[in-house]
Amino acid sequence: MKKLFLFISIILFTFACGDDDPITEVFPNEDSFSRAEMLEFWADEIIIPAYTNYISDLDILKESSTAFFTDPSEPNFNTFRDSYILAYTSWQQVSMFEIGKAEEIGLRNFTNIYPTNVDLIESNINNQNFDLALPSNFVAQGFPALDYLLFGKGDDDEVIVQALTSANVTTYVEALIDRLNDLSTEVLDDWNGGFRDEFVSNDGSSATASTDKLVNDFLFYYERFLRAAKVGIPAGVFSGNTEPDRVEGLFSDIYSKLFFEAGFSSAQDFFNGISFIDGREGVSLKQYLEEIQLTNNSDFDIAASINDNWQSAELVLIDINANFRNQVLEDNAEMLALYDELQKAVVSLKVDMLQALNIQVDFVDADGD
Amino acid sequence: MNEGPNPTNELENPDSYQFLRDGASTVSFSGQTERIGMATELVDAMVNFESTEEQLLEMYSNQTASGADANPFSDASLNSSTKSVKSKVAASNDLFSTNSVESAEIKEALESMIKAQVSEVFPNQNELASLGVAGQIADGSSVRYVNASGLEYNQAVNKSLIGALMVDQMLNNYLSTSVLDEGSNIEDNNNGIIADGEVYTNMEHKWDEAFGYLFGAPGADYTDPLNTLGGGAFLNKYLARVEGDEDFKGIANEIFEALKLGRTAIVTKDYDLRDEQADIVIDRISEVIGVRAVYYLQQGKIALANGTLGTAFHDLSEGYGFVFSLRFVKNSNTDAAIFSKSEVDSFINLLTAGNGFWDIDSATLDQISNDIAAKFDFTVEQAGS
Repeated sequence: MKKLFLFISIILFTFACGDDDPITEVFPNEDSFSRAEMLEFWADEIIIPAYTNYISDLDILKESSTAFFTDPSEPNFNTFRDSYILAYTSWQQVSMFEIGKAEEIGLRNFTNIYPTNVDLIESNINNQNFDLALPSNFVAQGFPALDYLLFGKGDDDEVIVQALTSANVTTYVEALIDRLNDLSTEVLDDWNGGFRDEFVSNDGSSATASTDKLVNDFLFYYERFLRAAKVGIPAGVFSGNTEPDRVEGLFSDIYSKLFFEAGFSSAQDFFNGISFIDGREGVSLKQYLEEIQLTNNSDFDIAASINDNWQSAELVLIDINANFRNQVLEDNAEMLALYDELQKAVVSLKVDMLQALNIQVDFVDADGD
Repeated sequence: MNEGPNPTNELENPDSYQFLRDGASTVSFSGQTERIGMATELVDAMVNFESTEEQLLEMYSNQTASGADANPFSDASLNSSTKSVKSKVAASNDLFSTNSVESAEIKEALESMIKAQVSEVFPNQNELASLGVAGQIADGSSVRYVNASGLEYNQAVNKSLIGALMVDQMLNNYLSTSVLDEGSNIEDNNNGIIADGEVYTNMEHKWDEAFGYLFGAPGADYTDPLNTLGGGAFLNKYLARVEGDEDFKGIANEIFEALKLGRTAIVTKDYDLRDEQADIVIDRISEVIGVRAVYYLQQGKIALANGTLGTAFHDLSEGYGFVFSLRFVKNSNTDAAIFSKSEVDSFINLLTAGNGFWDIDSATLDQISNDIAAKFDFTVEQAGS
């Protein structure tokens, strides 16, 4: 295959030299698959709609918080909490797209770093002199901080409502919600403002090309934030000790599985090219791999193997508690089993897929110090 | 004794680093364990914003500014110790016994970074770092605290100590014949004359002290140290990192085997074999420092290209310390330092010129990497990933 490609390249190159065409136009990818169409589908059918949906849910969160702070009634409190869960769930559908403006501003760092630091949150609330733009405040903002404030700041709802309505706490909660809105709006505005075209037209095959970059972002998300943060770390895969208090949504307690499922199914949909708008199937990594398999006349269906791994993970997931914390405490073997299935796909994605697509990994294991 | 067909090695290398005389262990390196413990507390305290300059300097020298006894450590046994980090920085027999000028300069270089952490970085704890301004910068979801040039003093001090304390003492002092064979060491060792009030001969002890800087961290199981490789800080940790790179796999075992066999050779009074093993350790430990210096410069280059400044600065800060440490590495063939003071100084100058990491370019990082790799048997590519 490589030899054949080289041969064709030489012919094309020779041909190109006798012509005024820029060389790039006669140097196609090794395959006939259109990366541009895939990028277009990702931008228009997945990423931009998912951000639009997320921000719309953040708007609802903002409205319900305003309603609650105006009238801290029990129904308003419940609506506030529900809209928080809804927005947190929608966040899971965009978290993996840390590219462009999101990458530039570090959207995920300001949105969903957990475990949150309760002492720092309380200190920020007390002295009211906080700068949420500081990296040291990653652990005192975003959804995990709201999780603590809406669900953990007291033993029962009455105490929490009381706490939330004290002026300093209200100010802090509003600042957190506004910041989520501001940052994600900045990202969506950028997509709508010109980044979309830049993203789609950067359809080559190099370390800085859109496909290579987003596939890396997707893998990084899958490995670090889905597999490790949501499952592996609480289950003690890395430290050897279970760490049940490191689940996502520690204080709201019963949503950790929901958040995981939202992220997991978004990852699968991205890979399989499922439109966020209408669920129809479009141009995807799966198709890309299938086409390469066809070109190579290979028996190895990489895409099917990845989907099989995920299917196995889904089967394990059925019996797992809605509350990952309880699952870790009561029967961690199931969490470990889930981790193992997720990990099998990492190997297929990172080795088999990247090799087939000729994409280099652009992130390394952190040093840990 | 192994009577098998093993012409170059007639000794049986024991499985573990255990050596006995009359049933009692002769292995001892408590001074090394203490210094590693002190260095650990020092670098931790450098990122505790409550620390004062006075406390940090006391941790460095284990005495007050006026030379009185100090108790700066949380571990009481370190406070009662008469040893210190500073007294063994750039203090090897081979490199510094007649070069106290440079020794003082290196001690001072570390001390000034410790002070600057308090005077430059601490006041900007809650500022965002920018060109020319010290403060915070994000490295992934971690927070790094850098000076106005983007350098993390705590990382620079941490990694510089690997060279200036551990490697210097190990290679240029305890594994050197000038120290192993000092005074009547050979005669005493030949006749089994043990040091005053101890169970070991002086030569045995010197060798163990070299061993201790690599495998003697507080609480470590030194008898079979490869099991917990990387569990310690400093040199131990970075040997593990290099071992983890496919291009260098086996290096940890090679070093451990050589340390064991060399110690065995002392017991059996085979000093040629001892020196062969010392040479292996010298060359491989030097390689560890060279590899990590190039690794961090290359990782920093990649991170700069990706636009992740905080990650780049963190890598380059670690790289700075390993580059600083190059001054202490040695070539067993020439029996001399691999890098001169002026070579290392010029690397450091390139890293810190102008606005430091804020405007360093990939060509400079490649240039330093190439210059380093050229002195070793590895390539920039092998070390850099």
